[in-house]
Amino acid sequence: MKKKNNLELKPLFEERMKKLLEPADYGRYKKILSKPILRSIRCNTLKISPDELKKILEKKNWKISQPWKNYPEVMVVEGKNSEEDLIELEPGELGRALEHILGYYYIQELASMLPIIVLKPKPDDKFLDLCASPGSKTTQACSEMKNSGTIIANEINLGRIKILASNLERCGVTNSIITMSDGVLLCDRLKEQGIFFDKILVDAPCSGEGTLRSSPKTYFMWNVKTIKGVSKLQKKLFEKAFEVLRVDGEMIYSTCTHAPEEDEEIVDFALEKFKDKIKIEKIILPIKCREGITEWEGKKFSKETKNSCRIYPHDSDTEGFFISKFRKVKAG
Amino acid sequence: MQQIIFLSAREKQEIIEKLKNQFGIENVDGEFVLSGTDRIFLYQGNLKQDEITRIQKRTVIERIGIYFAKKINDEIKLSLDGVQISKDKICKNIFEINKTQANDWMMGKEILIETGLRGFIILKYENNFLGCGKASEGKITNFVPKSRRLKDKRN
Repeated sequence: MKKKNNLELKPLFEERMKKLLEPADYGRYKKILSKPILRSIRCNTLKISPDELKKILEKKNWKISQPWKNYPEVMVVEGKNSEEDLIELEPGELGRALEHILGYYYIQELASMLPIIVLKPKPDDKFLDLCASPGSKTTQACSEMKNSGTIIANEINLGRIKILASNLERCGVTNSIITMSDGVLLCDRLKEQGIFFDKILVDAPCSGEGTLRSSPKTYFMWNVKTIKGVSKLQKKLFEKAFEVLRVDGEMIYSTCTHAPEEDEEIVDFALEKFKDKIKIEKIILPIKCREGITEWEGKKFSKETKNSCRIYPHDSDTEGFFISKFRKVKAG
Repeated sequence: MQQIIFLSAREKQEIIEKLKNQFGIENVDGEFVLSGTDRIFLYQGNLKQDEITRIQKRTVIERIGIYFAKKINDEIKLSLDGVQISKDKICKNIFEINKTQANDWMMGKEILIETGLRGFIILKYENNFLGCGKASEGKITNFVPKSRRLKDKRN
């Protein structure tokens, strides 16, 4: 298990979370923040089957569980079997292992695997991953697509592109094109060129409230001004991405934050903006999902935002996440 | 990525011939894309060349497909991932190593051994294909990129 953290939440953050959660629920939420996250990995089925990988890892005395029955590629490394006890992996051991270097698995938090599980990309799809780095969901999509079809993996930042490229390479992804562009601009240009997609993932840049368990810097960096600012960008990304979705195509909008301004407010904006061209779909997940909220700080959202999915860390021992799924039902 | 140049069917076939001679690889699905003068990328996606060209007119394409191989003089050096992608097709110039050698190899060390082979060879440990090395008298030169090496825990 990773080291526990004992960081303090900012008062305004606490106040906002208390508006989202009932008192007892909030207590459970706060308690789990100091619990280390599970060491989860995803088998890269482009290179190895879950059964084979499990055998190899168990030969190293790692104790492996597969928490989601229908998704054997999802694994949790619970520790190392020693003579009597289960002991913790050494720091960095997951990333240092030969099997990781050869791309047999990807270290990925459980909740972060959900957007692709919901989107279900298929071989031969044209897929746009608008904010792709570091590539966890891109590589997951490529596995689902069996390296056929095409993924355009976009990232605006050169440093992050290098990480993305290195992860795609390690995982043996051969059907991707990495573009370096502002996401809004990229969609405009793709539209001009008449290039449309079957599936789109907008895993939007966000305030990261859901990542407190794995990324303690969020405790210090959290700021309500960031939320308001990033919300505008998220609306723009959604709007432009939806314009390059083909009719009957599907799009996921996800964030790793609980802030309604970045979640349901974006969904509400999209439903209002695209009216009869868009349909929000129900989501079925392998973990607990709470429906989206319909009101926040006096602002009412469309009732359909309930079809979105809020994932809280204390519900299924994951990070926090938000997922919504849309279908384009009419051109325009 | 520099200008994207898709190799023609004839140019691709020339590379395949070399891969066949060196490693027994008889075919590779997908397009070969040249970056610079000698690096070959493999793209197995379904966007047509003209669609990619159209995208590139207005957007920076940083990379297409995977770094597959490098032309060196008249030979082809497969990348670590090129070896992994082709592992089911490689049937020539495979050299099997033991656990200690595999560990050293993945740490970027050359292996001091007489293989009886010369030129580019494929290193294999159990079912793992560990990339391409160059066999010469008494040693195998290592090409595992720094970013993909095992770290020595003592450092």
